[in-house]
Amino acid sequence: MPAGRARDRMVGMLLIDQLVKRHGTRTVLDHVGFEARPGRVTAFLGANGAGKSSTLRILLGLDRPDGGTALVGGRPYRTLRDPLRTVGSMLDGSGAHRARTARDHLAWLARSNGIARSRVGEALDQVGLASSAGVRVGRFSLGMGQRLGLAAALLGEPQALVLDEPVNGLDPEGIRWMRGLLRDQAAAGGTVLLSSHLMAEVADVADDLVVIAGGRIVATGTLAELTTGYDRLEDAFFALTGGDAGAHR
Amino acid sequence: MRVAGPLVAELRKTLTLPAAWAGIAVVVLGSIAITVLNAVTTRSAIDAGTPERVANTSAFEAAFAAMPLGTVGAVVLGVVMISSEYAANSTDAGGGRQITATLTAMPRRVSLLAAKATVLVVLVIAVAAITLPITAGIATAVIGGAGTETVTPAQALMRGLGGALYWTLTGLIATAVTLLTRSGLIAPIVLIANSSVVSVSLLLTNLTPLAHWLPDLAGRRLFTGVDTVDGGLAAGPGALVMAGWTVLLLAVAAVVFRRRDA
Repeated sequence: MPAGRARDRMVGMLLIDQLVKRHGTRTVLDHVGFEARPGRVTAFLGANGAGKSSTLRILLGLDRPDGGTALVGGRPYRTLRDPLRTVGSMLDGSGAHRARTARDHLAWLARSNGIARSRVGEALDQVGLASSAGVRVGRFSLGMGQRLGLAAALLGEPQALVLDEPVNGLDPEGIRWMRGLLRDQAAAGGTVLLSSHLMAEVADVADDLVVIAGGRIVATGTLAELTTGYDRLEDAFFALTGGDAGAHR
Repeated sequence: MRVAGPLVAELRKTLTLPAAWAGIAVVVLGSIAITVLNAVTTRSAIDAGTPERVANTSAFEAAFAAMPLGTVGAVVLGVVMISSEYAANSTDAGGGRQITATLTAMPRRVSLLAAKATVLVVLVIAVAAITLPITAGIATAVIGGAGTETVTPAQALMRGLGGALYWTLTGLIATAVTLLTRSGLIAPIVLIANSSVVSVSLLLTNLTPLAHWLPDLAGRRLFTGVDTVDGGLAAGPGALVMAGWTVLLLAVAAVVFRRRDA
């Protein structure tokens, strides 16, 4: 369908199709497929070990799939030119070496993708780390590391954000701030894909939900579609993932 | 621009790593210390009227004797450029590794490795270009006209270049081995211990002459004038064999790096 293909090539459109990943004989991802669209916040939900990180790592070109494709604006991540200007991402904390300062970390990232040096200070400012710019990352708390990771993701003013458990380690104020930031990104036409193992965590921010359990996608839809018929969000989550049969009414 | 970006990024990354500066300091300061020690020993032997106590009274030889130390610094640089990518942050800080940030910023892995190798070569040559003139100058200042210079400027240049080439190739081998093993331990243990504590390669030559074709032994005559065992390859062919090993190990590392999960 030509119209569909044109849509898949939209900048910032994230398309995951039939992904398979095996570690030895264990199947980690079993034909995983979904999309995250511009202007929407898509929450990727699942218990720890369900396959969220594996999917995001393949999307970002870090790991190789055993089958299927993951595309950013119609292209594999590894073929993007200056990828930080298209997709900002955060996996497992800041990704900064502990001996380096926050400013130095962002400075080399900016240089590698032809991003203006002035963005380093702006991004640190944006995540509330301006006063810690010269502190070595080894002395950061978990929450500060998350903020630095987010600064790295925002550095190239990308069309899409891909964030693995972004509110981990943030205090309530930080969580509120993060939600505002993600909503603003989507409101400006950006694509936001974030993973979480807590449905309540994403209920206030997500437009679309993708639920994964045991390496398979078990549900996709809007927040309203997936939670209809349940008293509480967590009940819906456990019912969908089969994590707790008793939670289903 | 697309080549310069990663290259400058990797250079900046290395120069903001304290461990890299430790490696550079070992070479520059360590070489200066050894040179001062040698030159003072030589000078006092001359002044005491017993120059036969030292092997020779050449200022260049007094400085060049520190040259093997540069190998240690090159290995440290080659290792930390890679091992810093795989060092995990504390779990308190999310437990992430820098390789994630590096590969999301520069997903073309072979180009990334080429940028890292280029940075290593540039740094090692820069360190050699600083260390050799400084140590030669110090030795000349201490020994002065009292000694007999047996090395011509042309010979000094060739030996300096040979030594710097050995440093560079050893550093690149350290990079390749560290990338293959993703460990900052194996390459320094093998390369530093083998060159300074007990040379396993040298012991192997007692078992088979093929051991002369191992990278460290093949290239050892690049340090002309440093005492070494007889036999094995001459400087030119030896350098080619060592360079061949380096290219081979880097190529294997590139193929593995490109295919494996980050």
